[in-house]
Amino acid sequence: MNIKILDSWLRDYIKTPAKPKEIAEMLSTTSVSVEKVEKHGDDFTYDIEITTNRPDLMSVLGLARETAAVLNQYGIEAKFIPLKLEKPQAPKIDLIKVVNNPRLVNRICAIVMEVKVKESPGYLKERLETSDIRSLNNLIDITNYVMRTIGHPAHVFDFDRLNTKNLTIREAEKGERVITLDSKEHILYGGEIVAVNDRNEIVDLLGIMGLKNSVVTENTKRILFFIDNNEKSHIRKASMSLGIRTDAAVINEKNLDPELASEALLYGIKLYEQLAEGKIISEIIDIYPNKQKAKEILVSEEKINKVIGVKIPLKQSSQILSGLGFENIILESKLKVRVPSFRASDIEIEEDIIEEIARIFGYSNIPSKIPPLSSQLVVNPFANTFYWEKRVKEALKYWGFTETYTYSFVSEDLLEGPIKEAVAIQNPLTEDFAYMRLTLVPSLLKVLSENKKTENIKIFELSKIYKRQENELPQEQSALSGVIKNEKTDFYEIKGLLEQLLNDLGIKNSVFKNSEKGGLGASVYIGKEYLGEIEVLDNRLIDFELNFEIILKHANLKKEYKPLSKFPPIVEDISVIVSDAIKTQDILEEIKKQSELISEVTLKDRFNDSRTFHIIYLHPQRNLTNDEISKIRQTITASLKSAFNASIK
Amino acid sequence: MLSLNVMEEELIGIKNTALSFILEAEDLETLEDVKLQFLGRSGKLTLTIKDITKIPPEQRKEVGILANEVKQTIEDAIKSKSESLKHKTKTVLRKKIDVTNPAILPPLGHLHLVTQAIEEISGIFEKIGFTRVRYPEVEWDWYAFTALNFPPDHPARDDWETFFVKSAPSPKYGPMILTPHTSSGQIREMQRVEPPVRMLNIAKCYRRQSDVSHTAMFHQFETLVIDENISISHLKGVLDYFAKSYFGENRKTRIRPYHFQFTEPSFEVDVTCGVCNGKGCRLCKEGWLEMGGAGMVHPNVLKAVGLDPEKYTGFASGWGVERVLMMKDGIEIDDLRLLYSNNLEFLKQF
Repeated sequence: MNIKILDSWLRDYIKTPAKPKEIAEMLSTTSVSVEKVEKHGDDFTYDIEITTNRPDLMSVLGLARETAAVLNQYGIEAKFIPLKLEKPQAPKIDLIKVVNNPRLVNRICAIVMEVKVKESPGYLKERLETSDIRSLNNLIDITNYVMRTIGHPAHVFDFDRLNTKNLTIREAEKGERVITLDSKEHILYGGEIVAVNDRNEIVDLLGIMGLKNSVVTENTKRILFFIDNNEKSHIRKASMSLGIRTDAAVINEKNLDPELASEALLYGIKLYEQLAEGKIISEIIDIYPNKQKAKEILVSEEKINKVIGVKIPLKQSSQILSGLGFENIILESKLKVRVPSFRASDIEIEEDIIEEIARIFGYSNIPSKIPPLSSQLVVNPFANTFYWEKRVKEALKYWGFTETYTYSFVSEDLLEGPIKEAVAIQNPLTEDFAYMRLTLVPSLLKVLSENKKTENIKIFELSKIYKRQENELPQEQSALSGVIKNEKTDFYEIKGLLEQLLNDLGIKNSVFKNSEKGGLGASVYIGKEYLGEIEVLDNRLIDFELNFEIILKHANLKKEYKPLSKFPPIVEDISVIVSDAIKTQDILEEIKKQSELISEVTLKDRFNDSRTFHIIYLHPQRNLTNDEISKIRQTITASLKSAFNASIK
Repeated sequence: MLSLNVMEEELIGIKNTALSFILEAEDLETLEDVKLQFLGRSGKLTLTIKDITKIPPEQRKEVGILANEVKQTIEDAIKSKSESLKHKTKTVLRKKIDVTNPAILPPLGHLHLVTQAIEEISGIFEKIGFTRVRYPEVEWDWYAFTALNFPPDHPARDDWETFFVKSAPSPKYGPMILTPHTSSGQIREMQRVEPPVRMLNIAKCYRRQSDVSHTAMFHQFETLVIDENISISHLKGVLDYFAKSYFGENRKTRIRPYHFQFTEPSFEVDVTCGVCNGKGCRLCKEGWLEMGGAGMVHPNVLKAVGLDPEKYTGFASGWGVERVLMMKDGIEIDDLRLLYSNNLEFLKQF
């Protein structure tokens, strides 16, 4: 999350000659990123991104402490001025009893005060507003000001509107309704942390937002100032499911130091006294069931140097840590470090301490080195996959295809294949993302329909398809798909494309058979292994999909040398009249098997019921004679006659 | 025995035939054929000259002179015809070509920008010995979160952020999800090979978000290096190398503190803005652009795969392919979703 604060506000708690730009630069490289420093009248605003592990820096005080530590390390004079707060005198009057549930709230600090509603003073309004917090009146503004200064959210109730002896903390039940102070009604999901009055009416949505029925108004005379340190995952869940992302909620869903709760209370009391003529009229409530013990961590010099890659004297490490508020002592070659409460949620192990040392030492002071190469042999079992993928993609590119990347998800409408085999998404973003696809073709056809204006389209995609498996991860299989839309396209163009593609991958035994799926098209095989389909959808639209894993199994770079022929081949064409029902492949095979001297037969032309075959005769050791050829020709003619009832033109 | 007369007649016949062929030749190829036909090794004139041995010796001299004359005449005719043909051919071609006419182009399609970026990134890392891998997109929670040191209540595990698959959870590995990052590949790689590890994992990832700078499906490239004595210094070295190779020599990088569950220390990696050269502009943050996250592998991650964190250290980085692509000079796409819209007008620009 980002916070914006004024430079002058920061300087209430740090004394330094450093300029705003310097502070921003130092913080960015050693702590949290200052994304912008902007001039604001005579002042400056910092826009700072705070990482989730540093809720302690979501406050002016926290930032001032951190800034002082950083500047000192870089030789710039800086002194942190902590907030001095004393516990005020409070009467022993028990005006309200708070009944906590320690599973839900770690600490509650509260007090009842008499106050006067007013406008806030100018400086406070300006500080809040540059922080993107709207100023309303002094009672509300003080809670926000406390939150920004100390880093702990605070809440204020109209004590008289609460009108209860007990304030009880519990989990909401599903279906309970509340109206938040922005006048919006919410139906609760159950499990939100709420406070109820004696009549079991919900009067607060803890850690998220105040409610309309207990919020302060222009007529408020008495307030209950209330600091609640909540169990974070309840807050996260409530905030996300209700869609209420207040600053308070965003801070409360992190590990927030409960020690800050009492500071927030005391600072708030002081501000109400100063700005709202506040008078304490109840005892101070402090319910603190989940107090944590300070952690101690041992860090060795050797480990520090090993992880950072530079030698840092232990004494320097010790100083860095002290500046950040970590008390520590040197024990021979180790540091014994005590973690301050405001860092307790974030610092657990040796490496966490090393990070603190390294970042303040300065990442820019660590040299860049390429790690030494391994002395061991590395074999990459994936190299093959990537090689062939690249080769196929490039071949298709140079044959005029454009590559698409469509989403792996599809809607139920677009899902083709048995729904039982599909991986279904439990929480899709929209209905378009309901399933992981079983085939790429529908996605490609969708691309076509979204590019209606383009007349001729050749696209392809090489992506995974996903097949559900019982009690296992789905089978993820690479598929190669393409779609061609063109007035002049026909089946043979795609057959040729795939045949030639496979040829380029060293696969010479591709076979095309009538489609097993019934439609117009072909099933493609490598030898006897099923590879995929060509589908002719209409006169101008053809698609194909191949199982790329099978291609990978057969693709190869094998090279074979055949001695070049020293004798010229004899070439001739034979035209045959034969029924349409006879497959060209069968005729080719029939011709080929008539003589070993036939080195190649291809279909040269097809016109009505006549087909012309181009035959190449070749003898590896000598010249062929006309006699030999005419004999073979006779055999061919005879065999075609008997096998296919063919006549020769 | 041949007689002088027969031989003379034949030579003159050859000369006349050859000259008429030469006269008729309309291009250099035909002329070359004529030359072969008469003057080649088994050309007519060559063979006839060989027959000279078949006439009486006293007549051979006379025939010899004639034969040479014939040969010379044919050669001269070919030479002069050849000159004139060469000249003629040029003028004819010059008339035919209008170089401004539209060309006949061989087919040329387009590879997707993401493919192009992946190729480039792979090339850069493979040069310094990284092994490119690819691991499952549909993954167990354990690989994507638990083994990467995510606590059970971490927000990334919310169903607001991560896609869950409708499937019974595994007793061992927890719920089935779509991996939200390539970091799950760290665990798979460390299970596959013993250190030293030097992995580059590039794969599709999925997160529940869609706006101008996020798409629900995207690509990451993840590096992982595990060995004895791997330090922050090495991490810096690799990312400097990558940034300079991918973005250009004059771009600088910096690392600054950040937070990730599976690294400690964690960094955010910045590269100087290519638009303002690091001076600071509308598009960047005080002269820097965020490239992505990195860090030293958290000891809990090493422990999760049975490696001893006292012996081994390592670093990892995980960055968006789309992100580095957009940060490259010249490609400023205002809406990331355009990459996956498959608008052909867009795809054909690259």
